[in-house]
Amino acid sequence: MDNEEVQWMIITKAFGFTDKFPKVTPYSHEEWISVISVLQEVELEEIIVNLTLDAIWNKLRKEICPKFWSHFKSHSTKVKEANEKETIVDAVSNLVQALKELHLEILNLIPYVERCQKVCEVSNVVVEGKLGNDDNLLSLLKLHLQATLYSQLPPLAFKLVKEVYSAAFKLFSHKKGHFHLDNVENTEFQSICRSCSFSNEDCQCSLISQAFDVINGILQELELLERMAGNIIEDLLLMAIEDHVAVICKDSFDKHRIQSLENWVEKVSTEWLEFIYSTNPGSSQDQKSSFKKGKIEMYKSAMYHKYTSTRIKQLFNIVIEYPDSQPALEDLRECLEKTDLRDTLVKSLKQAIKDILHAYISAIKGLRVLDPKGILLELVSEPIRQYLRGRSDFVRYIAIILTDSSCSELSDELVVAAPLVLDDSYSEIEDMNNWEAWTPDPMHAQSSVKSKSQRTADIISMLVNIYGSKTIFINEYGTILADRILSQFSYDTEREIMYLEHLKVRFGESLSPLHKCEVMVKDVADSKRINATIQSAEQNSHVRHKFPISAMILSSQFWPTFKEQSLQLPDEVLKEMEIYTEAYQSMKGNRTLNWKPHLGQVELEIELKNRTLHLVVTPTKATIIHHFEKKPKWALEDLSKVTLIPKGILRQKIAFWQAQGLVQEAEQDVFALVEDDDVLESRNSYLGGAPYSSSQDVPLSASACLEDEAESVMASAQDQRQEELQVLWSYIVGMLTNLESVSLERIHAMLKMFIQDTVECSLEELRAFLEMKMRQHQIILSNGMYRLPKN
Amino acid sequence: MKIKIKSWTGVATWRWIANDDNCGICRMPFENCCSDCKLPGDDCPLVWGQCSHCFHIHCIMKWLQSQQLQQQCPMCRQEWKFKE
Repeated sequence: MDNEEVQWMIITKAFGFTDKFPKVTPYSHEEWISVISVLQEVELEEIIVNLTLDAIWNKLRKEICPKFWSHFKSHSTKVKEANEKETIVDAVSNLVQALKELHLEILNLIPYVERCQKVCEVSNVVVEGKLGNDDNLLSLLKLHLQATLYSQLPPLAFKLVKEVYSAAFKLFSHKKGHFHLDNVENTEFQSICRSCSFSNEDCQCSLISQAFDVINGILQELELLERMAGNIIEDLLLMAIEDHVAVICKDSFDKHRIQSLENWVEKVSTEWLEFIYSTNPGSSQDQKSSFKKGKIEMYKSAMYHKYTSTRIKQLFNIVIEYPDSQPALEDLRECLEKTDLRDTLVKSLKQAIKDILHAYISAIKGLRVLDPKGILLELVSEPIRQYLRGRSDFVRYIAIILTDSSCSELSDELVVAAPLVLDDSYSEIEDMNNWEAWTPDPMHAQSSVKSKSQRTADIISMLVNIYGSKTIFINEYGTILADRILSQFSYDTEREIMYLEHLKVRFGESLSPLHKCEVMVKDVADSKRINATIQSAEQNSHVRHKFPISAMILSSQFWPTFKEQSLQLPDEVLKEMEIYTEAYQSMKGNRTLNWKPHLGQVELEIELKNRTLHLVVTPTKATIIHHFEKKPKWALEDLSKVTLIPKGILRQKIAFWQAQGLVQEAEQDVFALVEDDDVLESRNSYLGGAPYSSSQDVPLSASACLEDEAESVMASAQDQRQEELQVLWSYIVGMLTNLESVSLERIHAMLKMFIQDTVECSLEELRAFLEMKMRQHQIILSNGMYRLPKN
Repeated sequence: MKIKIKSWTGVATWRWIANDDNCGICRMPFENCCSDCKLPGDDCPLVWGQCSHCFHIHCIMKWLQSQQLQQQCPMCRQEWKFKE
């Protein structure tokens, strides 16, 4: 045997790569020194190390990993025949088997890798695939092991791991007794171990827990735990937390839960993490605790999330049980700050509110099926109607919904062309031709229930009847219509005409408020024509205008009352209006115009140093910015004097220009024009958005959205009602002068007798009205009798 | 800063140039229509007598038709003549 062959034998024996890495024979220090010297002699360190490692990777790929996974495959085929509890035992033993084998193999490979590492340390060897200088070959081995395992991952591999860890979790949870599990109270199961579901004599718990310790230990040693079971470990606890939260939250809203849940999660997750990671030898105490902290935080946030979403689902009930549910609501508020579920809450709540409305409509429809005559409905829906009657905004909403094509449920009903049957309409003579089909009202019909012909089956009538009179409803519709016309300034009346026609069919043509609406719509069409005529006449006569002016000319008697507001328009605008008025006068002899300066719509082009703004604003706002053009700095007081706008309102309106970045409050109550773009830029970024780039024009539609004119230009229905009630006052004064002191009921009865037709007024409303008069010291209440104060 | 008004849409109410607010016959405001009409303004205009009293045209016509002997202004009992 020559020298080279001897050397080769020594090397192959030391590194084992030719022989598939047999069981390693330990070397003494001297022996190892000789191996190294041989290696150095033949100068093959790098080749040998790389050869060895390659062979190891190869073995991993071709032998170890396939063998490891084969256990999983055999398990999953076996599962099909066996029942559940046996599979657990089987799974555990399978996994133990697989891991033990893997562990042995790896343990066997480790000395070889360590030898390579030593060679690397002695001589400078470049290892392929090594990531950094500082990480040694052992961790490279682990990395390869993980990578190879994952590259050969069979389907359903994690099922086995999951089964084992679920079993372990069950053991854990029963040992600690943290969880409410459904079968806890069930005595039937007492002969069966709750942890492993084997019968008590045959309990496998200790076996499972022993095996689990082995599994857990090996996985951690090989640093496979996180990758193989990390998700599962997390999921198990998360699921348990979710279940627990769900149980805790079930149907009880009267206690604060968050604090106890927090404590619970902290306790359980700490224990669980300890249970899993207790055997972890590697990391330091510090690392461990920070790792734990992170996990616990994660579990907590999962708990908040689950709690919030559970509560959101229950929100409908929570709201209904208020104020008993106050603690739940407070918990929810706290959780909303910690989670991102605000949108879900809004959506869910919207749904709940919709449900309420839907329930009412469904109730009408459903009860109509149950009792086609509507008596049941009449009786049942009384509380709802009573409530809605008390809501001053109710009619408005119904009117909006009716004419809003996006809400099909009601607007479809509107289109159904059946004349509305209302309480205050004449009762029709019942169909005499069909008298044989007549049936009497059911037994439970009360005398208070109206006669058959007046009972209605149609939803719109029901809704409108809630308010007792269609006049109020149509008045409200008129206000909405006026608002719409004067906020959109669209001369296109097609849609409004369509709705009016529907309403006419519904309510009957003769109704005077509806007739008012018709005039309103006609005013719009007339205005369009007048504008066109005046403009074309001016073109022929070559009148020069600074800007085009048009008008919405209204028939004041037919429109709802406007909110009045003083406003001094700029002179040039007044001049244009005068020209327009003259043109109107010459067109319609003997008629003239009264302008409402604060109403209207102005299109502005504002040229700044390096940008141009296009805006559509109200006359008030246009006037304000107009004054800033002439004088860049205004005290609130002075501007209020010039424009005649009250200071409070003026400040609100200036806020619009502040939001646009054109004006800023330089000092208390002094506003100054801002033209400098830099200031604006910084302002925009401060506001968290850049509305538009400097040189670009804003599209008109976008700027129109900036308008905040959501408020109504009409006096509210309540104001109008007050005016109506004022009519009663003179009657009441007359009554009190003659009779000296009168009770509320008597006043009501007498008013009803005198002026029933003109003003409807409930007892409650009258009481409120008289209370108001009392505050104004115009009336005195003593012993339940009203009287006039003695002068 | 330069402001250019691109367009101005104002809101105005129309009214008759008359020395009274209400029609002496139907007692309605002039800006409203007479009891037979539905639409105010052009469809229910005012007329002036030489006595300078004015009424809804439909109201005064009805009145005049009901007068058998003399046609008088219902307000001042002077003979009714339309103002040119």
